Amino acid sequence: MRQRTERFTTIARRELQNGLSQTFLSLLPPGFRALRAMGMSSFPDPDAAVEYARAIRASVVARLPELLEEFERRALALGAKVIWTRTALQANEIILDLARERGATYITKSKSMLSEETGLGEHLRKGGVEPFETDLGEFITQLLGRPPFHIVGPAINVPPEEIRDAFLAGAGLKESTTDPVRLGLAARLFLRDKFKHLKMGVVGVNMAVASTGTIINVENEGNIRMIKSSPPTVVALMSPEKVVPSLSDAMHLLRILSRNCTGQKITSYVSLDSGPKRDSEIDGPAELFIVIVDNGRSEIYQDPLWREALRCIRCGACLNTCPVYTKIGGYPYGFAYSGPMGQVLNPLLLGLADTRDLYQACTLCGACREVCPAGIDHPALLLSYRARAASDWHGPQAARVLLRRSLATLLAFAMTHPRLWNLGIKLTRPLFNLAARDGYIHTLPGAQGWFACRDLPAVPEKTFRERWRQDHGQ
Amino acid sequence: MPKVSMFIPCTVDLLLPQVGEAAMLLLKRLGVRPSYHPEQTCCGQPLLNAGYRAEARRSAKHFLTTFWDEDIVVSPSGSCVCMIKQHYPELLKDEPAWHARALAQAEKTFELSQYLVNVLGASDVGAAYHGTVTYHESCHILRGLGVTEQPQHLIRNVRGAHYVALDNAQTCCGFGGEFAASYPDISGALVRDKVRSFLSSPAELLLVSEPGCLLNIKGYLHRHHPDKRVMHLAEFLIQQKVA
Amino acid sequence: MASDTRGRILDALRTATRRPPAPRPVLPEPPELTLDRPQMIARFEGELSAQTGVVLRAADEGEVLRHLTATAHAENLATVMASTDSALAPLDLKAWGQANAVRVHTAADFADRETFRAACFGAQAGITGADFAIAETGTLGIIFHTDQPRLISIAPPVHIAVVPIERLVATYEQAIDQVFRDKSSPPSQFCFITGPSASADIQATAFKGMHGPRKLIVILVG
Repeated sequence: MRQRTERFTTIARRELQNGLSQTFLSLLPPGFRALRAMGMSSFPDPDAAVEYARAIRASVVARLPELLEEFERRALALGAKVIWTRTALQANEIILDLARERGATYITKSKSMLSEETGLGEHLRKGGVEPFETDLGEFITQLLGRPPFHIVGPAINVPPEEIRDAFLAGAGLKESTTDPVRLGLAARLFLRDKFKHLKMGVVGVNMAVASTGTIINVENEGNIRMIKSSPPTVVALMSPEKVVPSLSDAMHLLRILSRNCTGQKITSYVSLDSGPKRDSEIDGPAELFIVIVDNGRSEIYQDPLWREALRCIRCGACLNTCPVYTKIGGYPYGFAYSGPMGQVLNPLLLGLADTRDLYQACTLCGACREVCPAGIDHPALLLSYRARAASDWHGPQAARVLLRRSLATLLAFAMTHPRLWNLGIKLTRPLFNLAARDGYIHTLPGAQGWFACRDLPAVPEKTFRERWRQDHGQ
Repeated sequence: MPKVSMFIPCTVDLLLPQVGEAAMLLLKRLGVRPSYHPEQTCCGQPLLNAGYRAEARRSAKHFLTTFWDEDIVVSPSGSCVCMIKQHYPELLKDEPAWHARALAQAEKTFELSQYLVNVLGASDVGAAYHGTVTYHESCHILRGLGVTEQPQHLIRNVRGAHYVALDNAQTCCGFGGEFAASYPDISGALVRDKVRSFLSSPAELLLVSEPGCLLNIKGYLHRHHPDKRVMHLAEFLIQQKVA
Repeated sequence: MASDTRGRILDALRTATRRPPAPRPVLPEPPELTLDRPQMIARFEGELSAQTGVVLRAADEGEVLRHLTATAHAENLATVMASTDSALAPLDLKAWGQANAVRVHTAADFADRETFRAACFGAQAGITGADFAIAETGTLGIIFHTDQPRLISIAPPVHIAVVPIERLVATYEQAIDQVFRDKSSPPSQFCFITGPSASADIQATAFKGMHGPRKLIVILVG
């Protein structure tokens, strides 16, 4: 997928001025709070349920290589073919080859953030195999050529007029309509034809069960069940951290996954595949390929803190509760993952040098950490990326890094030398108060950002320390 | 008479000295003897948030040295208290002696309302106010320290004050330290929402317990709604005259 | 290349410094375990109805067939696909079809998967058995196998599932434990179905029948 994270601020500004995005985003936090509360209330002890889910994800990360091997062994025994790839390109090439070998001129895809990450669709199209997204939201974003706005509702913000135009042009919509239901049915008809003649389909994986070699998909629309039923060849794309130890762990995470985000107790469909179809079965895949895509994760895993980012189960709760995401939506993040999920994952997957805004544009409010059912400490990870970036002397920002570092050294020196510190504080007053009137400062050179929308109280004549000394004769 | 050593955040020292004085006065009224250690500087939070861990570690050690002999440390800033209680032990985890010190410091450090309610058992602090007030729950106090009931308990026990809950009280006000200056569009949108919640409430006064949020909201109000007031909880709790 | 890649990934993971995970906390048992059968039935009906699933009760095969006839009329069914699952065996659906002017096809009627697939996409309804009715969320559990093809319950716009009442369980785990009892040969696919196919991807407007059935009818027998 094209990386556009360097345009974070520009796109954020545009989205802040987009009335439609703002209307939708303003409904998200209260709606989410109500739905999540309702969903989680079905647990006898919601906090205990979250803690248990966090413990499962902790054990996945701690035992990742062993679980992967166990999963592979079981999946192979069931007749699945397991393919390991280190890079996105390797994965894409293997899938393109599989499609070509089977004479597939097109494939259908389920929503898979991993395939967004690897840019599978684009690779297949360039290789002459047409990829059709089949999740309604992804189908729309594909037609519009946009990144997902939200992990659960990729096109939830797109006005129906735009969808109508896109469907009239590229999805066989016959009559002009802006009715969401009729638009949905138009997509149904268009994609049904694809399912009906499908030779090969590609799905993501929500969970891969180590103890049984089973892959699990969670969905509402039925497109994944279609893809796993209709064609003779199915490719399931997973990143290593999708593995879970056991079926009972999978069942607990299944309960958490949708309740923690959309509030649904369970999605319409949850399908568990253990190998390809048996010989006597008339449908289902005769060949099931499970492609494990590393794409940098085994390197991320080397850092004991960073590997915690691999706990994520992609529920999307953090997006709905993030003050920044709920102002700017998914586009500024410029990659498969948005919101706190993306702020934590994208810098690791794309490199810290190209994703600076993602770990800087955070108030460290901790709302994401609070709702995370996987136990990710987002603020701690972002602080660690900031620390790593602050020591990167070789990047394109070297001059800036050096300047800031010098300033930090100076500040730290002053903080450990109270006389110097107080002198510095004292010198601040005349500088700050240059542009003060009616008791407030209205602008300061180099701090335009602060003064863009607010003033600052003028610096009083005496600091607290001076007042204290005066009163206590020290 | 219990003794308390005050940690005054740098924002308070420089820009909001009245908040520090209010906190001191409040403690005195409750029979506590507050002191101020002149060697104190900054807790190092801005350094840590900007990614300067080694530098933050140095300021942490300065803090731990300065306050080593104090029994109890109280601060009118939840984020500084979070820095001390949560980040110091993490920053110093590889230096056993300092780590032990940091853990000991964490045990004896409190955010102001936390100290008043949890340690002193205060309810009515002798304040009086005539009017309707509301309260913004700062992120570090709420989610960092888990302090949510304490400030509201103190407000409810102010004679004459009518307390109403603020819509979206637990949503970030958009301060975030350097964030406010680096991402003015997003920060501005967040503080605008916070102020909208305040304006749509029946309250004429907004209370916060965090100097950062106070600067952010106060600065925004002064620019756009100069007739509206926000103040630190400590300032509110020392008011005795019915306005 | 493939095996080398595998080795490199696993080696990198294995050689990283790791700590064993903390012990798991206590997870309270699902409260559904205490439900008796009438409560389970009520729960199943309530939860599935909330997802617009229709739950019908039938005392015996005759009543099942009468429900099917009524459904065939209401939905104007002319062609249906049926599985040959054990839950349907006592019904003789072909005979029922002949008596009610409904063409009933099973997988055995088709020479290959292509013609079978085309028939599933052309059918107006699919009739299947189900292996479990799970009370906790009003969920069907279906094991797919030779006599229970996958497409019958997903391709046609109406899905009718016949479930003997003794297949009612309280929780997902109770179903899963049975399905995966023999680890060496689990079914190729097992599926939880909770209501019809659905989407809310345009303007958050929810509707049924996105890709799969727009209607789900469950007949509990016994």
